[in-house]
Amino acid sequence: MDTLTSLALSINNPILTQIGTLLGNSYVFAALILCLIFIAEKRNGKRLKLLLSLILCIIVVSLVKSVLMEARPCAGLEWCPWGYSFPSMHAAIAFTLMIGFVDKKSFPFFLLFALFVSFTRLNLGVHVFHDIAGALPMAIVAYYVTDILWKRYAPEKMEGGR
Amino acid sequence: MNKETNRQVFHVVVGIITLFFLAILGRGFMTAAVFSIIIIGTLLMNLRIRGARIFFVNWFERLFEREDAPLPGWGSAAYAIGVLIALTFLNDSAGIAAVIYILAFGDAISTIVGRMGRIKLPYNDKKTVEGSLALFFASLPAYMLIGPLIIPVAILAALAESLPVLEDNLTVPIVCTAALLVL
Repeated sequence: MDTLTSLALSINNPILTQIGTLLGNSYVFAALILCLIFIAEKRNGKRLKLLLSLILCIIVVSLVKSVLMEARPCAGLEWCPWGYSFPSMHAAIAFTLMIGFVDKKSFPFFLLFALFVSFTRLNLGVHVFHDIAGALPMAIVAYYVTDILWKRYAPEKMEGGR
Repeated sequence: MNKETNRQVFHVVVGIITLFFLAILGRGFMTAAVFSIIIIGTLLMNLRIRGARIFFVNWFERLFEREDAPLPGWGSAAYAIGVLIALTFLNDSAGIAAVIYILAFGDAISTIVGRMGRIKLPYNDKKTVEGSLALFFASLPAYMLIGPLIIPVAILAALAESLPVLEDNLTVPIVCTAALLVL
């Protein structure tokens, strides 16, 4: 196991574990992401673009997970989540959201949010740093591709921003 | 030197530094380092978009970044993302080094030769046949890293670089990494 993963795993805080477990729940995480999009972004066009980039990200990450089939570090343990390890879906979603706000004042918040989500995945022992690092380029590429398609095909009245 | 030549020299120098540290410190360290660089880079990008003037970032943009970049520092960010894709998707250091080599040397030589080329590609009038051939031949020394696999990888890299979609700093490492995973 790499140093960063070991370091995150060594932090044993019950509150952190509770928050991590809560964020690990797909429904809670999806609801939180949707709330953040609707609170932080006022333009419907940009909201739609963010949602599309998240959908693209989820599709690509799911495909990569099912092709590479890397086992989770907690594989075999009772509490280990279902599915493969590389790349981390939670981290990829949080990074996609982060990059979607790169032109906004709120960006540092989304950056910290993405790093915190990534940290909780390491702290819970359901991912290693390699899974988090792999999620970052996938998230950026998913947002970049959505942005290009958006500029090409979105109706002009749908202001999508950067 | 003009801006495009600066960019390509920067490509090669960063590529050499990355390969050096990959050989000395290994894949794990390089993954963490490139990940951190991208995170810090996005923060600097955000500050620049919001109008902040950061001395070394402005100097860097003036020297190395394209005028038509979608975001400040996008070219360098794409390069780092490309390197991180190779570092995280490939397990074998020789394969990672080959992708970085093609990205650093192949792409740079292709741009320099391509700008002097005369025969335009039928599907992309901004690129030339000479540029694509230069990328192919410049990638061949990576034979020392991945053996005969370099032939299909270099062909695919040349094709990816010539496409009029996305940033070539992204398409080249994505295609090379995918090829090395499949082949």
